[in-house]
Amino acid sequence: MNNENLKRTALYEKHLKLKAKIVPFAGWEMPLQYDKITAEHITVREQAGLFDVSHMGEFKITGKASLNLLQRLVPQDISKMEEGKAVYTQFCNPTGGIIDDLIIYRLNDKNNTYNFLLIVNASNIEKDFNWIITNQNDTSEITVKNISDDYSLMALQGPNAVDILDILGIDIDNQPKRFRLKETQINNIECIVARTGYTGEDGFEILVNNNQAAMLWDSILKAGETKGLKPIGLAARDTLRLEAALPLHGNDIDENTTPIEAGLKWSVCIDKPDFIGKEVLIKQLQQGTDKIFIGFKMQSSRIPRQGCEIFQGGRIIGSTTSGSIAPYLNYPIGMGYVDKTSNTKTGDLIEVLIRDKKYPAEIVKRPFYKMKKR
Amino acid sequence: MSNLETPENIHCTRSHEYVIVDGETGIIGITQYATEQLGEIVYVELPEVGTTIPKGEAFGTVESVKAASEIYMPVSGTISEINHRLTSEPELINDDCYNEGWIIKVADFSKEDLEEAMPMDEYLSFIEE
Repeated sequence: MNNENLKRTALYEKHLKLKAKIVPFAGWEMPLQYDKITAEHITVREQAGLFDVSHMGEFKITGKASLNLLQRLVPQDISKMEEGKAVYTQFCNPTGGIIDDLIIYRLNDKNNTYNFLLIVNASNIEKDFNWIITNQNDTSEITVKNISDDYSLMALQGPNAVDILDILGIDIDNQPKRFRLKETQINNIECIVARTGYTGEDGFEILVNNNQAAMLWDSILKAGETKGLKPIGLAARDTLRLEAALPLHGNDIDENTTPIEAGLKWSVCIDKPDFIGKEVLIKQLQQGTDKIFIGFKMQSSRIPRQGCEIFQGGRIIGSTTSGSIAPYLNYPIGMGYVDKTSNTKTGDLIEVLIRDKKYPAEIVKRPFYKMKKR
Repeated sequence: MSNLETPENIHCTRSHEYVIVDGETGIIGITQYATEQLGEIVYVELPEVGTTIPKGEAFGTVESVKAASEIYMPVSGTISEINHRLTSEPELINDDCYNEGWIIKVADFSKEDLEEAMPMDEYLSFIEE
């Protein structure tokens, strides 16, 4: 892609000042890192990090008919969602394949109907929006808006995130609980603060109007000075999510994998009325899937990457979808799909083909890293 | 990133390895430019001492957080020593690629091969392009 066609977030100048290494990502010029990737990763695990994730897409779906539309689009049960609640889910195609994964937030609505905010992956904004519009049959009582270009999103993640938000004036008792949100103000800046994230740590994602994003970014960084807060780039975001075994759309999940195959069964609710892909998902829940999603830990120092073949007993049984060194655990890890006929289970040894040579690995439970209870 | 002091008698390749001529020994590693491109190196695969490897063939791999990259022999030669410290401290390559971050040493290397490598000033203009 030509650099001239790349978009810049409202925080672009901030990243330049912070001497970030900027790279093209999903059509945006994004900060890859400000410091060493491993150092940034550990900062988020042990203290706190602030990410600019404004490339992510946001849609607003409002009006009476929005509940029925969303109920048809996702395998989660949205009908039980109260205002102020968030759920992780997917858009599936008729064969159950994952068009995108997303979080749906239910905002307060003055008109006593529905007000949903959807946060989707940057690379899929257009595709997702078209998918929603295509499946909308009652246009009279619903408004679907792509507000991605008007809003900035930042993520404040790590064990100290709670203290930092407290310093910013939202004391611990007033902070939203996990997978909940608050429409509030930070330093008089209107924003939506949700207790969600993509790092495997406690923390918040904060949605704010573009014109106040830079101000909010500075306020948060300043408030976090005594709490070890650092700006963190997309590279560490990727290693953090992998260590937490959170799937990445385009790597671990895509239109050819279903939530059941991807180990996301917990996010599929089959007791609700029809939704797109339901038949396939029910069948897979009842009969099992042909491929199984696994996590593995290398027994050598070689680092697996996406697309490495997985072997067992000399037979190829699958391939990797993500792989990296796990900076906090300090060994290489990966995820991937294996054929169900391999009957692999946790503790089994497999081999991963990395650059023409097979290296041993052990299938382990996901997540690789689990947040400590505090 | 700071500019490291570049040693004398250094020759670089288009694939960003260097060889420093130290008497009869050739000290081989990757250039500062290569380390900047790769980012933090977290693993180095080293060859065995005694192996003879021709110029242009891979003798090892460096892995950074984001990518893996083969390292090629800048000159033909027999490996006389490997930098064992890199096993536990691969970041030495990032921190000090021309000194403590050397990767292998070769004995009896081909002096003719050196002529095809670039002196540092030529290499620096090559990476500018």
